Amino acid sequence: MSTSNPYLDDLSRGIIRENPVFRLLLGMCPVLGVTGYFINGLGMGLAATAVLIASNVVIAALKNFIPPQVRIPCFIVVIATFVTIIEMVLQAFQPALYEALGVFVPLIVVNCVILGRAEAFASKKPVLRALIDGVGVGLGFTLALGILALVREVAGQGTIMGPDPESTILLFGEGFEPMGLFGQPPGAFIALGLLLGLTNVLFKKFNIK
Amino acid sequence: MRDVLRLSITLAVVAIVSAALLTGVHNITEPVITEREQREYLEALERFFPEIDHFETEEINGDQFDLVYDQDGEKLGVMATVETQGYEGTITYNLAVDAETEIIGILIVSHSETPGIGDVITTDNFQEQFIGKSFEDPLEAGEDVDTVSGATLSTGAMISSIRRTVTTIGETFLGKERQAFGLEDLADGVYRGSVEGTYGDLIIEVEFRDGRIQVIEVVEQNETDAYFMEAYPEVPERIIEEQKLEVDVQTGATLTAERIITAVKNALEGAPEGEGGGGDN
Repeated sequence: MSTSNPYLDDLSRGIIRENPVFRLLLGMCPVLGVTGYFINGLGMGLAATAVLIASNVVIAALKNFIPPQVRIPCFIVVIATFVTIIEMVLQAFQPALYEALGVFVPLIVVNCVILGRAEAFASKKPVLRALIDGVGVGLGFTLALGILALVREVAGQGTIMGPDPESTILLFGEGFEPMGLFGQPPGAFIALGLLLGLTNVLFKKFNIK
Repeated sequence: MRDVLRLSITLAVVAIVSAALLTGVHNITEPVITEREQREYLEALERFFPEIDHFETEEINGDQFDLVYDQDGEKLGVMATVETQGYEGTITYNLAVDAETEIIGILIVSHSETPGIGDVITTDNFQEQFIGKSFEDPLEAGEDVDTVSGATLSTGAMISSIRRTVTTIGETFLGKERQAFGLEDLADGVYRGSVEGTYGDLIIEVEFRDGRIQVIEVVEQNETDAYFMEAYPEVPERIIEEQKLEVDVQTGATLTAERIITAVKNALEGAPEGEGGGGDN
């Protein structure tokens, strides 16, 4: 599915061919940790995307100033700065999401998707391409978290748009007893495994490499 | 040499810019966060005490107690902001009691208990059992309130913390007093008592002679080492020194300390096993 346009390629690669969750299996910690509710999965994905885009751009812009010997500490400081900013902004303006994501927000710092993109892509490419790459990989990450969280919430809670009682929609009526396992960490592994199997089948079928 | 300098300067510049950015964002978000927390707290106060006019804040052992008054200066009750150790981390909650120490409401401010398991502490189902209970009630798991199976540690921590808080409020602000455990009519002998701990039983032997508690010995314990060392031998020493079971447990190991006291109480409530001093009974 390689297109001639490098920008389009940068964008689609992160979403499909090199989807960080479904193809590369990177950043599994939040993937398994916060996908109990769709809103949380989506929020986590968007928070990580914001950090990823910002750090990609800054690192691409600074690539000529940062000596190779200290590049990793510099990358980490840049990433940690953006994560802390996101954390403070969430706490101020999205308190419910901040509470729900808990420790996984500061843990974005060590999310290997972000450091991986900084090291493998942003530190070698121009700013614009790093930006597009950040958008692509971020969307891919968000998409994966969203799908996984949707599956887990529907199966594990029988709702969508929870856990806020004002927005929660009960899918199967009051009498439905959800599969609590899917709300728990082991359920995250099982749901992720099923989704990985499904994406593998789809990739084979459509011959995407 | 020049290389080292360049590396250091680069890192320093990156760190300084980062710190400046964070300070800026912090200055913007901090007032928003504090303002929201205060607003939420005031809303909770008004919900629990509709006739509130003003309140006075007092602090005991790091926990905050707001004494709530109506416009005639009549005490309506107390709202406490308490931190306690849950299963995963610190649980912060508000506990509102009226002037008769009856619990009006519980509000979990923040917690990090396991989603789907320990977070039952935030549900009405769990919290409702406390409403209407007061200083006079045992507030003891299995007696008048229940832990939730599967979440015994989280709910158990809440129950004992609520009991402690109600006791503190009652004794400090509302003039209540616990009936002391009577040692007068005890027969001489060695008493053995146990209490269920988090990881196993805590068994204690108490030697009572000449109208006094002489020796408190731990026969078996399965507490976390650090907590146990914090509470032992301090708590038994205080009981022996003061000759009463209602000693202060201001250690960093409140649960273990409470268990030691409960075990001593359980022991003395039973029958003596021997004459004591026998050595290997």
